[in-house]
Amino acid sequence: MALSDEAYEAVRSIVGERNVTRDPAILDGYALQMLVELVRPDCSHYMPRAAAIVMPASTEEVQAIVKAANKYNFGVKPHGTGWYHWASPMYDKGSRYGDEKDTVQLDMRRMNKIEIDEKNGIAIVEPYVIHSQLHAEAIKRGWTCNIIGAGSSCSVVAAACAYSGIGAGTMWMGGNAENVLGMEWVTPSGEIVRNGSLGSGDGWFCGEGPGPSVRGIMRGTLGSRGGMGVYTKCAIRLAHWPGRTDWPVYGTVPAYRLPIDETFRVYTVAVPTWDAWTDLYYKIYDNEIGFTLHRQYNLAGADLAPTFWLMYNDPTKQLSDLPWMLEEPGMAELTEEMRISLQIVMAGRSEGDIELQDKVLSKILEEVGGWKVEKYCTEDMAEFTNLYMNRLGHKEINYVYAGNYIGSWMQAGTPDWVKGYIPVAAAGYERDYRNGLLVQAGGDSMMGTVGAYPGGGIMGLEQFVSYDGADHDSCRAAWYHMDDAVEDAKTINYPPGKEALYIEMRYTDEQAFDKWAGAKQPFTYVFQRKIRERYDPNYIGDRQYNWIPEEWEKGEKRASTPIMPGPGRPQPAPEGYPTI
Amino acid sequence: MALEDYRAVAMRCNRCSYCKWIPQDRIKSWEFAKGCPSVDYRHFHAYSGGGRMVALLSLTDGRSEITDELKDVVFECTLCGQCDVSCKVCRYDMWILDGAREFRHYLNQKGVVPDAYPGIIAKLRDSGNMAGAQQAGRAGWAEGLGLKRLAASGAAGADTVDKADVLLHAGCLYSFNPTLRGVVQASARVLAKGGLDFAVDGDERCCGGKAYDMGYRDDFAASAKANLEKWAAAGVKTIVTPCATCFWTFKRLYPEAAATAGSPVQVPEVLHTTQVADRLIKEGALRLTRTVPMKVTYHDPCHLGRQGEDYVPWDGKETKIFGQAVVYDPPRPRYNGAWGVYEPPRDVLRAIPGLELVEMERTKEAAWCCGGGGAVPQAYPDFAGFTASKRLDEAKTTGADAIATACSSCNRILGSATAGDGTTMQAIDVLELVERAL
Repeated sequence: MALSDEAYEAVRSIVGERNVTRDPAILDGYALQMLVELVRPDCSHYMPRAAAIVMPASTEEVQAIVKAANKYNFGVKPHGTGWYHWASPMYDKGSRYGDEKDTVQLDMRRMNKIEIDEKNGIAIVEPYVIHSQLHAEAIKRGWTCNIIGAGSSCSVVAAACAYSGIGAGTMWMGGNAENVLGMEWVTPSGEIVRNGSLGSGDGWFCGEGPGPSVRGIMRGTLGSRGGMGVYTKCAIRLAHWPGRTDWPVYGTVPAYRLPIDETFRVYTVAVPTWDAWTDLYYKIYDNEIGFTLHRQYNLAGADLAPTFWLMYNDPTKQLSDLPWMLEEPGMAELTEEMRISLQIVMAGRSEGDIELQDKVLSKILEEVGGWKVEKYCTEDMAEFTNLYMNRLGHKEINYVYAGNYIGSWMQAGTPDWVKGYIPVAAAGYERDYRNGLLVQAGGDSMMGTVGAYPGGGIMGLEQFVSYDGADHDSCRAAWYHMDDAVEDAKTINYPPGKEALYIEMRYTDEQAFDKWAGAKQPFTYVFQRKIRERYDPNYIGDRQYNWIPEEWEKGEKRASTPIMPGPGRPQPAPEGYPTI
Repeated sequence: MALEDYRAVAMRCNRCSYCKWIPQDRIKSWEFAKGCPSVDYRHFHAYSGGGRMVALLSLTDGRSEITDELKDVVFECTLCGQCDVSCKVCRYDMWILDGAREFRHYLNQKGVVPDAYPGIIAKLRDSGNMAGAQQAGRAGWAEGLGLKRLAASGAAGADTVDKADVLLHAGCLYSFNPTLRGVVQASARVLAKGGLDFAVDGDERCCGGKAYDMGYRDDFAASAKANLEKWAAAGVKTIVTPCATCFWTFKRLYPEAAATAGSPVQVPEVLHTTQVADRLIKEGALRLTRTVPMKVTYHDPCHLGRQGEDYVPWDGKETKIFGQAVVYDPPRPRYNGAWGVYEPPRDVLRAIPGLELVEMERTKEAAWCCGGGGAVPQAYPDFAGFTASKRLDEAKTTGADAIATACSSCNRILGSATAGDGTTMQAIDVLELVERAL
């Protein structure tokens, strides 16, 4: 059912004329997303177009919109800053299982308030508060926050309540999924649920109780990604910031710097082998050192990264300087020296503390045969690393080469387990970029946090396969590579990585249900159906909250079209694309 | 570049929204994290630098048509360039400010412009200036100052000269606006006091910069041609101006205009009055001896700051390295705000005895726009006022007595904002402060 004029008027009466639109050019601003070329037919740049964009200013307005959605039968898809393809509606017209309702996009931009409880180290934020805003306000008060891997420009609420929440500081500070406390949720049926202590009128301090704890429903590991109601506010736990509170960034754009506090140490360290790399990680975990730790710089590709970051930090240079800089004396050696490297920021609460951490790190490096990369530990580069790792304000650089990249693999596990897929992922990328349709940055273009859980233990590496979204052949090559990565993982008996989540977006509802019904633990999806039926009886939510209908649970129904190989794979293969 | 050329820019946009904020590393508070007045006012993603490119893609993909809402998306923007700076922190292949200007030109050519535009351009076409005033009164501000005037302007008398190495260009606002006239007068007196040998053009023609921003490129080209030919005939080697918009237009647009027209005329050196004053102070030619006991904050004009970088001629093409990495051959000038004119005005202020310079959070390439650019005050006055009020709020946090600037548009709109706000803070030009110290 298309969004009726009556429904549109109902929404307009809630938010006001200025805060709702159906203009197609404005709607497309919400349909164009990153990575979309790899999941939409014919490598289109657009996700399904919403029927309208609505901007509520309060929880009450959100509730009114959701109630209108139930009354007039339209879907609701909220987003914070809206960076990722599943921020957009999932459904083309008529593709929603058993229903043809349109979807209205909620842009939560007007809900951007922040409050910091300085005494208790808690921040209460609305959906459009981004991490850098929270970080900046927290730092002033001697607190800090975990900034998610996608960087400081992303919504705190979205990361805490609806997706992942892991970042470079997670090992020390916890991920946002752990740090979220009281949450306010407008369910798809239009109830306002206040979670934990908030629900019992006791404030924001606890996500589990004494009020109702629906944290597992609201949060989970991955989160509902906008598919189950709207999070309108949450409280997040802050961490102690042992550094200076004035954040004296300096430098010429883009080579900004942050002086290193006396009780901080900032290093790029490297090891000779992947075995040494796993040992390094385990010893870091066991010895509990480090504040923000990430294999960050390697996103530019192991063959290019060491030179790339030197280029980047010279404001007079640009990407076209990279080829000749690679030929400069010492660069080849530096590239080899940094082939297996990562960045470490250690923060001490006292001089004695940081001296101890420093000694421990040195000892660890000695034991694993590692070293500090001298060129990257100069004051200049270390100040850049200090800023980069503490603010994560450069995450658009993931797209530096050509504007688009697949963040693939990234299966999470212990370092030993992750080590198993590294050579396969690297070989696959090298194989697939030989024809020049993907960026040839080195097969190992993997990046990831050292610890995805507080204290470490679990991590993953995301492969940065860069492609040009403006080049149709490059898009098709990236599409094929993503499918190939799934096949490559099968050869070593590993589950598919992040690309599997992207590939799911190509599926129809029926194909998705088929896949989930065939999962090793389908009951998860059965249970989620029951949750959805309770909280979203009219199914106005979006597909990210995965569930399977009863017919699939009982095996009475299957998809009419097969789901593998990659549905909608554009044909023919790009010229010169290798077969595996 | 034509509109179609920006489709690749749109397709390479990954919707990170950096364009809505000042560079992430420079954010020091919740309040002053924002960088884009347009999206801060209208909120829809299409009003951001990146969102505007998506609207361009949507239109050229045939997925949408030109509507009144699209017109607002394109024109309700001050073209401040903050989006471009923030995008380029991490990218070498994005040109969203250029794309925004091209989009304006495109709609303008189709006759789709804000209601106020025809009246504005009529003033330029009918009067030769943006004020729509009698051109004969253009140099009225210079009366009694004993300045040399170009004979080519129709001037006669003892102060008339056929040639002048240095020409002080006032600009339309400073020439005709009675409340702003004092700025160019102070500028002239200060430069003269510093021993600069310059003339003025009594029949100055509009730089054409605003016409360019509005999408009237033929009108801009006509202004550029007329000015360049007159300057060449008068042997002008250096243009000095107190207006940042004129500064940017002469420095960045005129060389390209001359090249496009196949003109052999060389564009003179272009300097802002703050750059000249800075030089004169450092050389000892201007001695600031009187105390000016004020606390002052400095507002970086977009056209002097992040858009005030030197022009670098470029006639190249896009190419790729490492398979798909996008670069340009020859390398394309980045224009990322790194080398704008930031320090000379500050050095001038620091040289004034008794004056304390205090900085806002958003400075230099991260400065919040005043709201005065892109013909926004005329076409979207509420939006302009909103933008100015935000800057004024930021200035007030410094505790300053005055917000100093170096641009006629900034001065006008910040002056209006201070007057409307009832604050004791005054908007003042840097050179006016210098004159107080002489």
